[in-house]
This record gives sequence, C-alpha cells and structure tokens, in this order.
Amino acid sequence: MGQLDAVLGNPATRRTFLKGTGVLAASGILAACRKNVDESGAATAPTGSIGPIEDEPGVLHAHEWAGYDAKWLYQDYLDAGYPQPKFSFLVNTEGALAKTAAGFDWDVTHPESGYIQDYLNMGALQPWDTSLMPNFKHLNPVIEASGQVDGKQYEIGLDWGYSAPLIRTDHLDATLDSYSYLFTDDAAGHISWFDTPWILQMAAIAQGMDPGHSFEMTDTELEDMKNYTIEKGQKNLYNIWVNYQDMWDDVQTGNVWATYAWPDAYVALKDKVDVAYIRPSGGTLAWVEGLVLRSDTENYHHAHAFADAWSAATVGTRLISSWGYGHANLEVDLSKIDPDVVKVFGLDDPEKNLSEPQSYLDRYQANRNAYNRAWNEVKASL
Amino acid sequence: MAIDASAEIVTPPGRRRRRGTAKVNLGLISVPLLWLIVFFLIPVVLVALYSVGVLTLISYDKYLSLELWRYFLHSDTYLGGPLGRGLFWKSLKMSFGVSITCVILAYPVAYMLALVAGRRRYTLLLVIITPFLTSYLLRVLAWRVLLNPQGVIEAVLRNGGLVADGSQISWLYNSTFAVYLVLAYSWVPFVALPIFVSLESLDLQMLEASSDLGASRLQTFRKVTLPMSMPGVIAAFVFVFIPTIGEYVTPQIVGGKAGYLFGNVIQSSFSSSFDWQLGSAMSVFMLAAVAILLAIFGRYLNMRSVTE
Repeated sequence: MGQLDAVLGNPATRRTFLKGTGVLAASGILAACRKNVDESGAATAPTGSIGPIEDEPGVLHAHEWAGYDAKWLYQDYLDAGYPQPKFSFLVNTEGALAKTAAGFDWDVTHPESGYIQDYLNMGALQPWDTSLMPNFKHLNPVIEASGQVDGKQYEIGLDWGYSAPLIRTDHLDATLDSYSYLFTDDAAGHISWFDTPWILQMAAIAQGMDPGHSFEMTDTELEDMKNYTIEKGQKNLYNIWVNYQDMWDDVQTGNVWATYAWPDAYVALKDKVDVAYIRPSGGTLAWVEGLVLRSDTENYHHAHAFADAWSAATVGTRLISSWGYGHANLEVDLSKIDPDVVKVFGLDDPEKNLSEPQSYLDRYQANRNAYNRAWNEVKASL
Repeated sequence: MAIDASAEIVTPPGRRRRRGTAKVNLGLISVPLLWLIVFFLIPVVLVALYSVGVLTLISYDKYLSLELWRYFLHSDTYLGGPLGRGLFWKSLKMSFGVSITCVILAYPVAYMLALVAGRRRYTLLLVIITPFLTSYLLRVLAWRVLLNPQGVIEAVLRNGGLVADGSQISWLYNSTFAVYLVLAYSWVPFVALPIFVSLESLDLQMLEASSDLGASRLQTFRKVTLPMSMPGVIAAFVFVFIPTIGEYVTPQIVGGKAGYLFGNVIQSSFSSSFDWQLGSAMSVFMLAAVAILLAIFGRYLNMRSVTE
C-alpha cells in the first residue's frame, strides 16, 4: 500500500492515488539491468517443469493488488493445508508489466483482461489447466472467454465491474440512460472523470458510436473525441479523480453530481445520498480482472489450487457484499446480497448482462498508445 | 663526478606532500563522483536511450526512432512555441513564481533570525523548521482540508457572511492558485536556510562601517546586506526552482483539472499510460531546459559566488 493510501487508510485499493510512483523508480532501474524475459515476444509454452505437487517449492508468490492478501479471498487454499503465499503488491497493471519486463518474478498476478496480450507478448504467461480447478465449471463463461487467447485459458477471470456514470438523482434526471451524463451541460461544474482514456470511448458512445468500435477508433475519430472531451471538460468538469474515496466524498458532499464510477461506489453511497448507477442500455463498458500464471513457475499445482480457492462461490458472495466488486462464480448465493446491488450488477442474469450488446468487456488495444496520448492531451488542455 | 650508486634517491618532502595531498583529494572526490555517475549520469543516459527507442521495456519493441521527439516538440499542448500556452511554459511560470514568492517570504524570516534574534536564533530556527519535519504528503493533504469547498476557509468566510450560501470560491481549490499556494508554503523553510546561512556569515563590521559613513538602515540594507546575501538568495531560488518544475504530487492533490502540470504528464506517461518513450523524451527535454536556465541564472546572477 502506497504512502498516501496508508494516510487515507484505504482498505483495498485497485487503482491508488499515486499511480506507479514507487514502481517507476524500481522498474526503471530493473528494466535497464533486466534479465531476458523473452526476446521473441511470442507466447511461450510452459518452461517450468510440471512435476508432482510434492516436488514444488510450495510457497506461492502472488503479485497482487493491495488488500488482496486478505485470507478470506483464498481461505480454501489455506484450509487445504497449503502454506501461506508470499505477497508483493502492484499499484497498477502497467507498473506490474514494467516490473515483469524488468525481470521481477512471481507465480501468479492479477491483471485486467486487456493486458493479457501484453504479458503474452513478453512470453511471461502459460495457460491454465482448468481441469485442475473444480470451481472453474461454475465460473461465468462470458468472463472466462475474455481470458482466452487462441483458445487457451490464460486468465481465470474472477472480479469484474462496470465503468459507468453514477449520478446524484436529486440534481439530475435519472432517465437519460447514457454516458452523456459525464459530459452534459446540465451538470456543469459538477462532473468528475476517472483518470483513464476510457473517457474518450465514453464520449464516443454517448455520441452514438458502437461501443465495440470505441476500442478501435481511427486517428480521426480519436482526434474528434479528444477535441469534444476537451471542450466539455473545460466547460463542465469539476475534477479528474484518482482516488476513489475522494470521489465518494465529492459525491456525498454534492461537489459532484455525475461521475465515472465502478459499482462499488454505488454500494458505498446508496444509503447515504440519493444516487443512481446508470448502465447505458446501448452498451456498458466493463472490466474483468483475474489470475494469470507465470510461464516458468515452479509452483504450478499450488497456483492452480490458489486460483481455485479464489473462484469459490463463498468468496464471490463476500466480494460482492463487502467490496462491491462482481465475481465470476455463478453459484453466488444471491439471497445473501442486497437486492438493490443484485439489480445494479445485473446478477439476476450475469451471462446475458455481461454479453454484447449489453456490456462490452475490456480488451487488448493494439493502438493503446494513441488513446493514452490523446487522453494526456485532454488532461493537459483543461 | 663519481656517483654513489648506493645512495638513495630522495624525493623532496614538498613534492611528496603534494603527491599525498593529490591522492587524498582523489580519494575524497571519487566517492561523490562515482555516486553521481552511477545514480545521475547513467540513469540520464538510459532515459535518453528510452526516448529514442534504443531501450524499450519489451525487447521485441526495440527500434530507433525520433517520432516521439517530433510529436512532443511539435505539440501545441505541451510546448506551444516559445513562452506560449503549452503545459511546459505553464509549469515554468508556476515554478518561477513559486520560487520568487518563497524567496520574498523567507528573506525577512532569515534576516530576523540571523541578525535580530541573537542567541535564540538556532532555537527559533528549529521552531520554524519543526512542522516541516512531518511528511510532505501529510502537509499537502492538510491543505486540502483547509481549501476544499467544505473546508475550514470557506466555512469561516460563509459564517462571516463573506460568501453566500450555496456558492463556492472557485479559485480556492482545484485550481492553479491552490497549487501555487501549497508549493510556496511547502518550500519556504527550505529557502530560509541558505539565506539564513548567508546572512549569518555577514561581517557585521561592514554594516557598522556603512552606518558610520552616513547610510540609513534602508541604504545599508540595499547597498550592503542584500548584495552580500545574494549567494544565499540565489541558492535558495535554485533550491525551489529545480524540484518544483517537475512537481506532480501537489497538483494532483489540490490542483484539480486546472493544476495539471508538465510533471503530471511525465508521471502519467511512465505509469498509467505505459508510454516510457514519450515520458523519457519529456524528461530529457525538461532536464535540458533546467540546465540551460540554470546556466542563464548563473551568468546573470553571478552564481559562481554561491560556490565560493
């Protein structure tokens, strides 16, 4: 957990305030002196020997989000008698990628599905053997499909969420059903964005672009969206949040009426102020995170047991109720979850609700640099 | 003339001493020199190599290209021409303004401590510095509590009837002003130190002589004290200017959308944007710009006297 998070006391940060601050220094030096990860860039077959579990070192190294070392997330693993894993923490997936490229070792890590291809390009991953995971058959196939490349399961998709507008219903009409809440003049001075180029995609979707195409905009389309976002941002934006608790505070105090949010914000705020979480019916952007397996891991079987424990329905129930994140297990006991939360997540039919055209899951973007550069220009122009 | 082969050739003691001194000097300078080479020069070279694609995070991505330099140098957003509206100039102006403000605020404090406070000067110096021994982040976050729309300052003004209910002071928080204020606050004590040292080492007889020759207090200050303390003032200015030009934490905490600075783009490029080549190009550019500016300051403000 970063210094600022320690100050703020965030319980479990996905994207923390000082994004990558510590990682930069370490990975910069490591990158310069790196050992060779994979020069070819091709996806690799497992290089670690897959022997019996008894021959494995046993102490799994999980490179995880801060807070994801909570024991209840892998309680079945501990109950089965496996040793406590060793955790190191990532601040963001980009930083984890940089460290991996620099030669940092781990057995499993927890990226967004859009970054699987980047890890594969480094030759850092091997596919999971899902037959070793009894819980895998209960996981949402739509989510698991996002973890596949060339038919191989490189990521066990576990936690997920939408990226959509959260609005104060006492200030804005909740019937709009669109990403346009994040740009509307009706909320001038009270709009908050997250620091992500997805804002450009949301601007495009709000103006009628197919959400699927928003992942692969042409240079001209990107330029148009950049200009539109700058114009709306200069006029209507309150701030760009980087720490989710700051955003919660701003919504609660009324500084912000419409914000980019994950469903956890709704879970945290719904009993405090009048809010609605808008999942645009024309297509909602959604993210998936899960565990990936290092190509040269010596803890092959331990890693599978760990991922299987994470996949349990009991973990899902608690993850949804406590943290406000979705979970891939379809056997989650909905009777133990607030009906309002079930509705917001679309948990009554998660397969349908996470499929296109309802939702568009995060994916690899070959042109990601262009999006990032456009987004940086937006921030610099506000 | 017969030469006694057995006679020992004796090095004159003076030369031996000089050689010994040279060895000591070399030994003394080698550690900091090595430090600078390993932790400054080599990293700068590595960053420069990243900026042209000779080094990349992912090996197969390696290619030599000036494309990112071209993109950056032609960008209206980041540069926008000499003294234009680009983000770099915004950061430069901010840093310059903060440095000047800090020097102006710190000088009277340092003057009082060095020339007025007498024997209590070090105690008072410690008192002034003490709050700044706490975490930098904590102090910046404390400003957020003060400046935000529900914060102490607006609450006091609202209760005093100076701000109408329901309205906000838009320039107080999430603004360039907030960044300026917090940066100036953060750096004032560090600026006071070199000025204090410079004033403390003043030869007081010079001030007495000035007075004896009929100069008023103001004239003495203008003609004697201030010029003689300039090395400390310049050092103080540079102390603030260099770190604040690349600042990104304070803008992120209190600057909002308006406080975004050049350092934020660099930080973003290296982290969430995963665009080390662009970040490296910007870093090298900033380093070069700062070096040029320091050379200019040094030329016009007699920087050499700082080191003498």
